[in-house]
Amino acid sequence: MRSLKALHTGEETMDVSLRHPETMARNVRRGRQIVRCVGLQLALPAAILAAVFTGIGRADDAGRGSGGNVQAKISYCKDCHGPSAQGYRGFFPIPRLAGQQPEYLENQLRAFIEHRRTNNIMFNVAHALSPAMVTALATNFRDLNPAPIGGAPKQLVVAGKKIFEDGVPDANIAACAACHGPEATGSGQIPRLAGQLYPYVIKELTNWGKERGQNSARPDTSAIMSPVAHSLTRPQIEAVAAFVSYLK
Amino acid sequence: MDGSIRRASTRSPNRQGRWLASAVSLGLASQAAIVAMMFTTAAYAEDAPAVSKHDVDAKLAYCEVCHGVSAQGFHGYYPIPRLAGQQTEYLKNQLQAFVEHRRTNNIMFNVGHVLSPAMIAALAADFKDLDPKPLSGGPKDLVATGQKIFADGIPDGKVPACASCHGPDAKGNGPFPRLAGQLFDYVVSKLTNWDKERGQNPAKPDESAIMEPIAHNLTGPQIKAVAAYLSYLE
Repeated sequence: MRSLKALHTGEETMDVSLRHPETMARNVRRGRQIVRCVGLQLALPAAILAAVFTGIGRADDAGRGSGGNVQAKISYCKDCHGPSAQGYRGFFPIPRLAGQQPEYLENQLRAFIEHRRTNNIMFNVAHALSPAMVTALATNFRDLNPAPIGGAPKQLVVAGKKIFEDGVPDANIAACAACHGPEATGSGQIPRLAGQLYPYVIKELTNWGKERGQNSARPDTSAIMSPVAHSLTRPQIEAVAAFVSYLK
Repeated sequence: MDGSIRRASTRSPNRQGRWLASAVSLGLASQAAIVAMMFTTAAYAEDAPAVSKHDVDAKLAYCEVCHGVSAQGFHGYYPIPRLAGQQTEYLKNQLQAFVEHRRTNNIMFNVGHVLSPAMIAALAADFKDLDPKPLSGGPKDLVATGQKIFADGIPDGKVPACASCHGPDAKGNGPFPRLAGQLFDYVVSKLTNWDKERGQNPAKPDESAIMEPIAHNLTGPQIKAVAAYLSYLE
Protein backbone atom coordinates (compact mmCIF):
# COMPACT_ATOMS: atom_id res chain seq x y z
CA MET A 1 0.00 0.00 0.00
CA ARG A 2 2.88 2.35 0.71
CA SER A 3 4.26 1.89 -2.76
CA LEU A 4 0.88 2.80 -4.20
CA LYS A 5 0.77 5.87 -2.00
CA ALA A 6 4.22 6.84 -3.14
CA LEU A 7 2.95 7.10 -6.69
CA HIS A 8 0.89 10.08 -5.68
CA THR A 9 2.31 13.21 -4.21
CA GLY A 10 1.03 16.43 -2.73
CA GLU A 11 -2.51 17.67 -2.96
CA GLU A 12 -3.25 15.65 -6.05
CA THR A 13 -3.43 12.36 -4.19
CA MET A 14 -6.15 9.92 -4.90
CA ASP A 15 -4.42 7.58 -2.50
CA VAL A 16 -6.99 8.16 0.23
CA SER A 17 -9.19 5.65 -1.47
CA LEU A 18 -6.30 3.33 -2.22
CA ARG A 19 -5.59 2.98 1.48
CA HIS A 20 -8.83 1.16 2.01
CA PRO A 21 -7.85 -2.51 1.97
CA GLU A 22 -11.00 -3.79 0.31
CA THR A 23 -11.01 -1.25 -2.46
CA MET A 24 -7.29 -1.20 -3.13
CA ALA A 25 -7.33 -4.01 -5.62
CA ARG A 26 -10.59 -2.92 -7.18
CA ASN A 27 -9.33 0.56 -7.85
CA VAL A 28 -7.07 -0.87 -10.52
CA ARG A 29 -10.08 -1.90 -12.57
CA ARG A 30 -12.37 0.95 -11.80
CA GLY A 31 -13.89 1.05 -15.28
CA ARG A 32 -15.14 -2.51 -15.20
CA GLN A 33 -16.50 -1.97 -11.74
CA ILE A 34 -19.07 0.56 -12.86
CA VAL A 35 -20.40 -1.91 -15.39
CA ARG A 36 -20.57 -4.49 -12.63
CA CYS A 37 -22.52 -2.08 -10.41
CA VAL A 38 -25.20 -1.83 -13.06
CA GLY A 39 -25.29 -5.56 -13.68
CA LEU A 40 -25.80 -6.31 -10.01
CA GLN A 41 -28.91 -4.23 -9.89
CA LEU A 42 -30.45 -5.72 -12.98
CA ALA A 43 -30.12 -9.10 -11.30
CA LEU A 44 -32.45 -8.04 -8.50
CA PRO A 45 -35.87 -7.82 -10.13
CA ALA A 46 -37.71 -8.19 -6.84
CA ALA A 47 -35.97 -5.17 -5.45
CA ILE A 48 -36.71 -3.26 -8.61
CA LEU A 49 -40.40 -4.08 -8.31
CA ALA A 50 -40.36 -2.96 -4.72
CA ALA A 51 -38.78 0.30 -5.79
CA VAL A 52 -41.42 1.10 -8.35
CA PHE A 53 -43.54 2.73 -5.70
CA THR A 54 -40.74 4.47 -3.88
CA GLY A 55 -41.94 7.89 -4.91
CA ILE A 56 -45.34 7.31 -3.34
CA GLY A 57 -45.25 5.19 -0.22
CA ARG A 58 -41.92 6.07 1.24
CA ALA A 59 -42.75 5.06 4.78
CA ASP A 60 -44.52 1.85 3.87
CA ASP A 61 -41.73 -0.64 4.19
CA ALA A 62 -39.62 0.74 6.98
CA GLY A 63 -37.27 -1.85 8.39
CA ARG A 64 -36.04 -3.24 5.14
CA GLY A 65 -32.97 -1.08 5.29
CA SER A 66 -31.66 -2.42 8.57
CA GLY A 67 -28.68 -4.49 9.55
CA GLY A 68 -26.30 -6.19 7.22
CA ASN A 69 -28.16 -5.15 4.10
CA VAL A 70 -27.33 -1.56 4.82
CA GLN A 71 -23.66 -2.31 5.36
CA ALA A 72 -23.53 -4.26 2.12
CA LYS A 73 -25.18 -1.42 0.24
CA ILE A 74 -22.88 1.17 1.79
CA SER A 75 -19.92 -0.90 0.71
CA TYR A 76 -21.39 -0.97 -2.79
CA CYS A 77 -21.79 2.83 -2.85
CA LYS A 78 -18.22 3.23 -1.72
CA ASP A 79 -16.94 1.16 -4.60
CA CYS A 80 -17.42 4.25 -6.70
CA HIS A 81 -17.79 7.12 -4.22
CA GLY A 82 -14.69 6.23 -2.22
CA PRO A 83 -14.20 4.27 1.00
CA SER A 84 -15.10 7.27 3.13
CA ALA A 85 -17.52 8.62 0.52
CA GLN A 86 -15.06 11.44 -0.07
CA GLY A 87 -15.65 11.19 -3.81
CA TYR A 88 -13.48 9.67 -6.47
CA ARG A 89 -12.08 10.58 -9.84
CA GLY A 90 -13.22 7.70 -11.95
CA PHE A 91 -13.84 8.01 -15.66
CA PHE A 92 -16.36 10.58 -14.50
CA PRO A 93 -15.82 12.71 -11.42
CA ILE A 94 -17.85 10.78 -8.83
CA PRO A 95 -19.19 13.12 -6.18
CA ARG A 96 -18.40 13.22 -2.51
CA LEU A 97 -21.36 12.01 -0.45
CA ALA A 98 -19.71 12.40 2.96
CA GLY A 99 -21.44 14.96 5.13
CA GLN A 100 -24.15 15.48 2.55
CA GLN A 101 -27.58 16.64 3.65
CA PRO A 102 -29.87 13.57 3.90
CA GLU A 103 -32.82 15.41 2.39
CA TYR A 104 -30.75 16.36 -0.63
CA LEU A 105 -29.38 12.85 -1.08
CA GLU A 106 -32.83 11.31 -0.89
CA ASN A 107 -34.18 13.82 -3.36
CA GLN A 108 -31.36 13.15 -5.81
CA LEU A 109 -31.89 9.41 -5.65
CA ARG A 110 -35.56 9.99 -6.44
CA ALA A 111 -34.55 12.43 -9.17
CA PHE A 112 -32.56 9.70 -10.92
CA ILE A 113 -35.51 7.33 -10.75
CA GLU A 114 -37.97 9.93 -12.00
CA HIS A 115 -35.63 11.03 -14.78
CA ARG A 116 -35.55 14.50 -13.35
CA ARG A 117 -31.83 14.01 -13.27
CA THR A 118 -30.39 12.03 -16.16
CA ASN A 119 -27.68 9.55 -15.30
CA ASN A 120 -28.06 5.97 -16.42
CA ILE A 121 -25.66 4.52 -13.87
CA MET A 122 -27.36 6.22 -10.96
CA PHE A 123 -30.80 5.44 -12.32
CA ASN A 124 -29.95 1.77 -12.05
CA VAL A 125 -28.41 2.21 -8.62
CA ALA A 126 -31.35 4.13 -7.23
CA HIS A 127 -34.01 2.04 -8.83
CA ALA A 128 -33.20 -0.90 -6.58
CA LEU A 129 -33.24 0.99 -3.28
CA SER A 130 -36.16 0.75 -0.86
CA PRO A 131 -37.20 3.95 0.87
CA ALA A 132 -35.89 2.61 4.17
CA MET A 133 -32.57 1.82 2.53
CA VAL A 134 -32.35 5.30 1.05
CA THR A 135 -32.92 6.78 4.49
CA ALA A 136 -30.34 4.51 6.07
CA LEU A 137 -27.73 5.35 3.46
CA ALA A 138 -28.38 9.07 3.67
CA THR A 139 -28.03 8.99 7.44
CA ASN A 140 -24.80 7.05 7.19
CA PHE A 141 -23.20 9.40 4.70
CA ARG A 142 -24.27 12.39 6.73
CA ASP A 143 -22.04 11.29 9.56
CA LEU A 144 -18.86 10.76 7.54
CA ASN A 145 -16.28 13.52 7.57
CA PRO A 146 -13.14 12.64 5.61
CA ALA A 147 -10.75 15.33 4.42
CA PRO A 148 -11.41 16.70 0.94
CA ILE A 149 -9.48 14.90 -1.79
CA GLY A 150 -8.14 18.20 -3.09
CA GLY A 151 -6.39 18.67 -6.39
CA ALA A 152 -7.90 21.95 -7.58
CA PRO A 153 -5.77 24.91 -8.69
CA LYS A 154 -5.05 26.77 -5.48
CA GLN A 155 -4.57 30.11 -7.18
CA LEU A 156 -8.31 30.18 -7.92
CA VAL A 157 -9.41 29.81 -4.31
CA VAL A 158 -9.39 33.50 -3.38
CA ALA A 159 -11.53 34.51 -6.33
CA GLY A 160 -13.83 31.59 -5.66
CA LYS A 161 -14.24 32.55 -2.01
CA LYS A 162 -15.38 36.03 -3.01
CA ILE A 163 -17.96 34.68 -5.45
CA PHE A 164 -19.18 32.17 -2.88
CA GLU A 165 -19.60 34.75 -0.13
CA ASP A 166 -20.70 37.81 -2.08
CA GLY A 167 -22.02 36.54 -5.37
CA VAL A 168 -21.49 38.78 -8.37
CA PRO A 169 -24.11 41.44 -7.76
CA ASP A 170 -23.41 43.38 -10.95
CA ALA A 171 -23.99 40.21 -12.95
CA ASN A 172 -27.06 39.20 -10.94
CA ILE A 173 -25.36 36.14 -9.53
CA ALA A 174 -26.58 35.36 -6.02
CA ALA A 175 -24.17 34.62 -3.20
CA CYS A 176 -23.77 30.85 -2.90
CA ALA A 177 -23.56 31.27 0.88
CA ALA A 178 -27.15 32.48 1.14
CA CYS A 179 -28.49 29.01 0.49
CA HIS A 180 -25.49 26.72 0.90
CA GLY A 181 -24.34 28.37 4.12
CA PRO A 182 -21.19 30.31 5.01
CA GLU A 183 -19.21 27.08 5.28
CA ALA A 184 -20.95 25.39 2.34
CA THR A 185 -22.43 22.70 4.55
CA GLY A 186 -25.89 23.03 2.98
CA SER A 187 -29.21 22.78 4.77
CA GLY A 188 -32.10 20.39 4.24
CA GLN A 189 -32.85 20.24 0.54
CA ILE A 190 -29.81 22.38 -0.26
CA PRO A 191 -26.63 20.36 -0.73
CA ARG A 192 -23.35 20.56 1.08
CA LEU A 193 -20.64 21.71 -1.31
CA ALA A 194 -17.72 21.69 1.12
CA GLY A 195 -15.07 19.26 -0.08
CA GLN A 196 -16.94 18.45 -3.26
CA LEU A 197 -14.73 17.41 -6.17
CA TYR A 198 -13.41 20.25 -8.30
CA PRO A 199 -14.18 18.56 -11.64
CA TYR A 200 -17.60 17.44 -10.42
CA VAL A 201 -18.69 20.95 -9.45
CA ILE A 202 -17.44 22.29 -12.77
CA LYS A 203 -19.31 19.58 -14.65
CA GLU A 204 -22.57 20.14 -12.80
CA LEU A 205 -22.53 23.93 -13.08
CA THR A 206 -21.53 23.77 -16.74
CA ASN A 207 -24.22 21.26 -17.70
CA TRP A 208 -26.94 22.20 -15.25
CA GLY A 209 -29.61 22.78 -17.85
CA LYS A 210 -28.83 19.46 -19.51
CA GLU A 211 -28.66 17.27 -16.41
CA ARG A 212 -31.11 18.65 -13.86
CA GLY A 213 -34.81 19.31 -14.04
CA GLN A 214 -35.09 17.06 -17.10
CA ASN A 215 -38.60 15.75 -16.50
CA SER A 216 -40.98 18.51 -17.53
CA ALA A 217 -43.86 16.69 -15.84
CA ARG A 218 -42.02 16.91 -12.52
CA PRO A 219 -40.46 20.33 -12.05
CA ASP A 220 -38.19 20.41 -9.03
CA THR A 221 -35.98 22.60 -6.90
CA SER A 222 -33.09 22.32 -9.34
CA ALA A 223 -34.76 25.21 -11.18
CA ILE A 224 -33.48 27.51 -8.46
CA MET A 225 -29.91 26.94 -9.62
CA SER A 226 -30.65 27.29 -13.34
CA PRO A 227 -30.23 31.06 -13.65
CA VAL A 228 -27.20 31.01 -11.37
CA ALA A 229 -25.44 28.27 -13.30
CA HIS A 230 -26.36 29.94 -16.57
CA SER A 231 -25.01 33.33 -15.50
CA LEU A 232 -21.68 32.11 -14.16
CA THR A 233 -18.81 32.31 -16.63
CA ARG A 234 -16.43 29.40 -17.04
CA PRO A 235 -13.64 31.13 -15.07
CA GLN A 236 -16.12 31.94 -12.29
CA ILE A 237 -17.29 28.33 -12.19
CA GLU A 238 -13.71 27.10 -11.94
CA ALA A 239 -12.94 29.59 -9.17
CA VAL A 240 -15.91 28.70 -7.01
CA ALA A 241 -15.36 24.98 -7.64
CA ALA A 242 -11.75 25.33 -6.50
CA PHE A 243 -12.82 27.17 -3.36
CA VAL A 244 -15.41 24.66 -2.24
CA SER A 245 -13.20 21.69 -3.07
CA TYR A 246 -10.82 22.59 -0.25
CA LEU A 247 -13.47 23.34 2.39
CA LYS A 248 -13.63 20.86 5.24
CA MET B 1 -39.92 19.45 -2.29
CA ASP B 2 -42.86 20.55 -4.35
CA GLY B 3 -43.61 23.38 -2.00
CA SER B 4 -40.81 25.43 -3.40
CA ILE B 5 -41.35 24.64 -7.02
CA ARG B 6 -41.07 27.79 -8.93
CA ARG B 7 -44.11 28.93 -10.78
CA ALA B 8 -43.99 30.90 -13.99
CA SER B 9 -44.36 34.54 -13.11
CA THR B 10 -46.02 37.08 -15.31
CA ARG B 11 -45.09 40.69 -15.19
CA SER B 12 -47.21 43.54 -16.36
CA PRO B 13 -45.60 45.61 -19.10
CA ASN B 14 -47.23 48.70 -17.62
CA ARG B 15 -45.80 48.16 -14.19
CA GLN B 16 -43.08 50.77 -14.47
CA GLY B 17 -45.61 53.49 -15.16
CA ARG B 18 -47.61 52.46 -12.16
CA TRP B 19 -44.71 52.39 -9.78
CA LEU B 20 -43.69 55.89 -10.73
CA ALA B 21 -47.18 57.13 -10.01
CA SER B 22 -47.48 55.24 -6.77
CA ALA B 23 -44.05 56.31 -5.57
CA VAL B 24 -45.03 59.96 -6.03
CA SER B 25 -48.34 59.63 -4.25
CA LEU B 26 -46.78 57.67 -1.40
CA GLY B 27 -44.23 60.42 -0.89
CA LEU B 28 -46.84 63.16 -0.78
CA ALA B 29 -49.12 61.24 1.49
CA SER B 30 -46.68 60.39 4.21
CA GLN B 31 -45.01 63.56 5.35
CA ALA B 32 -44.90 62.49 8.96
CA ALA B 33 -43.06 59.35 7.98
CA ILE B 34 -40.67 61.33 5.85
CA VAL B 35 -39.78 63.54 8.78
CA ALA B 36 -39.21 60.52 10.96
CA MET B 37 -36.98 58.96 8.36
CA MET B 38 -35.25 61.95 6.91
CA PHE B 39 -31.82 60.65 7.72
CA THR B 40 -32.40 57.41 5.93
CA THR B 41 -34.45 58.13 2.88
CA ALA B 42 -33.34 61.55 1.73
CA ALA B 43 -31.22 60.07 -1.05
CA TYR B 44 -34.25 58.54 -2.73
CA ALA B 45 -35.77 61.92 -3.45
CA GLU B 46 -33.08 62.51 -6.05
CA ASP B 47 -33.98 61.70 -9.58
CA ALA B 48 -31.99 58.91 -11.10
CA PRO B 49 -31.79 57.65 -14.65
CA ALA B 50 -34.62 55.28 -15.44
CA VAL B 51 -33.82 51.61 -15.62
CA SER B 52 -34.80 49.43 -18.54
CA LYS B 53 -37.40 46.72 -18.23
CA HIS B 54 -34.75 44.23 -19.27
CA ASP B 55 -32.48 45.23 -16.42
CA VAL B 56 -35.32 45.22 -13.91
CA ASP B 57 -36.47 41.78 -15.00
CA ALA B 58 -32.93 40.43 -14.79
CA LYS B 59 -32.54 41.86 -11.31
CA LEU B 60 -35.91 40.47 -10.21
CA ALA B 61 -34.88 37.02 -11.41
CA TYR B 62 -31.72 37.40 -9.34
CA CYS B 63 -33.67 38.41 -6.21
CA GLU B 64 -35.99 35.48 -6.71
CA VAL B 65 -33.15 32.95 -6.78
CA CYS B 66 -33.01 33.32 -3.02
CA HIS B 67 -36.34 34.91 -2.09
CA GLY B 68 -38.47 32.50 -4.13
CA VAL B 69 -39.91 32.90 -7.59
CA SER B 70 -42.99 34.66 -6.26
CA ALA B 71 -40.93 36.32 -3.54
CA GLN B 72 -42.80 34.19 -1.02
CA GLY B 73 -39.56 33.59 0.88
CA PHE B 74 -37.36 30.52 0.93
CA HIS B 75 -35.56 28.30 3.39
CA GLY B 76 -31.95 28.48 2.28
CA TYR B 77 -29.18 28.08 4.80
CA TYR B 78 -30.85 31.03 6.45
CA PRO B 79 -34.56 31.77 6.44
CA ILE B 80 -34.80 34.15 3.49
CA PRO B 81 -37.69 36.55 3.98
CA ARG B 82 -40.85 36.94 1.98
CA LEU B 83 -40.79 40.17 -0.03
CA ALA B 84 -44.17 39.69 -1.72
CA GLY B 85 -46.66 42.36 -0.76
CA GLN B 86 -44.05 44.21 1.27
CA GLN B 87 -44.40 47.96 1.77
CA THR B 88 -42.29 49.77 -0.80
CA GLU B 89 -41.06 52.34 1.68
CA TYR B 90 -39.91 49.64 4.06
CA LEU B 91 -38.13 47.68 1.34
CA LYS B 92 -36.30 50.76 0.11
CA ASN B 93 -35.27 51.66 3.61
CA GLN B 94 -33.97 48.17 4.34
CA LEU B 95 -31.89 48.06 1.16
CA GLN B 96 -30.42 51.41 2.16
CA ALA B 97 -29.89 50.08 5.70
CA PHE B 98 -27.74 47.23 4.39
CA VAL B 99 -25.62 49.65 2.38
CA GLU B 100 -25.22 52.02 5.34
CA HIS B 101 -24.46 49.21 7.78
CA ARG B 102 -27.47 50.11 9.85
CA ARG B 103 -28.52 46.56 9.26
CA THR B 104 -25.68 44.06 9.19
CA ASN B 105 -25.84 41.36 6.54
CA ASN B 106 -22.85 40.81 4.28
CA ILE B 107 -24.81 39.13 1.52
CA MET B 108 -27.44 41.84 1.37
CA PHE B 109 -24.79 44.55 1.61
CA ASN B 110 -23.32 43.22 -1.60
CA VAL B 111 -26.72 42.95 -3.20
CA GLY B 112 -27.78 46.42 -2.12
CA HIS B 113 -24.72 48.48 -2.87
CA VAL B 114 -24.91 48.02 -6.65
CA LEU B 115 -28.58 49.03 -6.89
CA SER B 116 -29.46 52.46 -8.22
CA PRO B 117 -32.33 54.34 -6.56
CA ALA B 118 -34.39 53.85 -9.71
CA MET B 119 -33.74 50.10 -9.63
CA ILE B 120 -34.66 49.91 -5.96
CA ALA B 121 -37.92 51.72 -6.66
CA ALA B 122 -38.70 49.37 -9.52
CA LEU B 123 -37.98 46.26 -7.47
CA ALA B 124 -39.98 47.48 -4.50
CA ALA B 125 -42.95 48.29 -6.71
CA ASP B 126 -42.82 44.85 -8.29
CA PHE B 127 -42.72 42.98 -5.01
CA LYS B 128 -45.55 45.11 -3.64
CA ASP B 129 -47.88 43.67 -6.27
CA LEU B 130 -47.07 40.00 -5.69
CA ASP B 131 -49.46 38.01 -3.55
CA PRO B 132 -48.49 34.34 -3.30
CA LYS B 133 -49.72 32.11 -0.51
CA PRO B 134 -47.52 31.95 2.59
CA LEU B 135 -44.59 29.59 2.06
CA SER B 136 -45.03 27.41 5.12
CA GLY B 137 -46.29 27.91 8.57
CA GLY B 138 -45.08 27.64 12.11
CA PRO B 139 -46.62 25.42 14.80
CA LYS B 140 -50.39 25.67 14.47
CA ASP B 141 -50.99 25.22 18.16
CA LEU B 142 -49.34 28.58 18.78
CA VAL B 143 -51.55 30.53 16.39
CA ALA B 144 -54.33 31.45 18.82
CA THR B 145 -51.88 32.78 21.39
CA GLY B 146 -50.02 34.66 18.70
CA GLN B 147 -53.19 36.19 17.36
CA LYS B 148 -54.02 37.54 20.80
CA ILE B 149 -50.56 39.06 21.25
CA PHE B 150 -50.73 40.58 17.78
CA ALA B 151 -54.16 42.11 18.32
CA ASP B 152 -53.94 43.10 21.98
CA GLY B 153 -50.27 43.21 22.92
CA ILE B 154 -49.21 42.22 26.43
CA PRO B 155 -50.05 45.19 28.66
CA ASP B 156 -48.36 43.69 31.70
CA GLY B 157 -45.24 42.96 29.70
CA LYS B 158 -44.96 46.41 28.14
CA VAL B 159 -45.64 45.05 24.69
CA PRO B 160 -48.03 47.15 22.63
CA ALA B 161 -50.38 45.55 20.16
CA CYS B 162 -48.48 44.71 16.98
CA ALA B 163 -51.60 45.63 15.05
CA SER B 164 -51.37 49.25 16.11
CA CYS B 165 -48.46 49.85 13.71
CA HIS B 166 -48.49 46.83 11.41
CA GLY B 167 -52.25 46.97 10.89
CA PRO B 168 -55.03 44.56 11.84
CA ASP B 169 -54.19 42.36 8.86
CA ALA B 170 -50.42 42.75 9.34
CA LYS B 171 -50.13 44.33 5.90
CA GLY B 172 -47.92 47.14 7.24
CA ASN B 173 -48.00 50.77 6.22
CA GLY B 174 -45.21 52.90 4.76
CA PRO B 175 -42.16 52.43 6.95
CA PHE B 176 -43.89 49.69 8.95
CA PRO B 177 -43.36 46.36 7.27
CA ARG B 178 -45.95 43.85 6.20
CA LEU B 179 -45.65 40.80 8.41
CA ALA B 180 -48.48 38.71 6.93
CA GLY B 181 -47.12 35.48 5.46
CA GLN B 182 -43.61 36.12 6.67
CA LEU B 183 -41.55 33.00 7.38
CA PHE B 184 -41.92 31.67 10.91
CA ASP B 185 -38.23 31.16 11.52
CA TYR B 186 -37.37 34.51 9.95
CA VAL B 187 -39.65 36.40 12.33
CA VAL B 188 -38.34 34.42 15.28
CA SER B 189 -34.76 35.16 14.25
CA LYS B 190 -35.38 38.91 13.77
CA LEU B 191 -37.24 39.44 17.03
CA THR B 192 -34.69 37.40 18.95
CA ASN B 193 -31.69 39.24 17.52
CA TRP B 194 -33.17 42.67 16.95
CA ASP B 195 -30.56 44.74 18.73
CA LYS B 196 -27.72 42.76 17.16
CA GLU B 197 -28.94 43.22 13.59
CA ARG B 198 -30.83 46.48 13.40
CA GLY B 199 -29.79 50.04 14.15
CA GLN B 200 -26.13 49.04 14.05
CA ASN B 201 -24.70 52.33 12.77
CA PRO B 202 -24.58 54.84 15.65
CA ALA B 203 -23.95 57.65 13.17
CA LYS B 204 -27.23 56.86 11.43
CA PRO B 205 -29.93 56.07 13.95
CA ASP B 206 -33.09 54.84 12.31
CA GLU B 207 -36.65 53.85 13.04
CA SER B 208 -35.65 50.29 13.91
CA ALA B 209 -35.25 51.76 17.40
CA ILE B 210 -39.04 51.71 17.67
CA MET B 211 -39.07 47.92 17.75
CA GLU B 212 -36.08 47.52 20.03
CA PRO B 213 -37.85 47.63 23.42
CA ILE B 214 -40.74 45.58 22.07
CA ALA B 215 -38.48 42.84 20.79
CA HIS B 216 -36.59 42.98 24.07
CA ASN B 217 -39.73 42.61 26.19
CA LEU B 218 -41.19 39.68 24.28
CA THR B 219 -40.32 36.30 25.75
CA GLY B 220 -39.13 33.45 23.55
CA PRO B 221 -42.50 31.64 23.67
CA GLN B 222 -44.33 34.89 22.90
CA ILE B 223 -42.07 35.51 19.91
CA LYS B 224 -42.77 32.03 18.59
CA ALA B 225 -46.49 32.45 19.07
CA VAL B 226 -46.74 35.72 17.20
CA ALA B 227 -44.42 34.42 14.48
CA ALA B 228 -46.60 31.34 14.05
CA TYR B 229 -49.72 33.48 13.74
CA LEU B 230 -48.13 35.74 11.12
CA SER B 231 -46.78 32.85 9.09
CA TYR B 232 -50.31 31.77 8.13
CA LEU B 233 -51.75 35.19 7.35
CA GLU B 234 -52.52 35.74 3.69
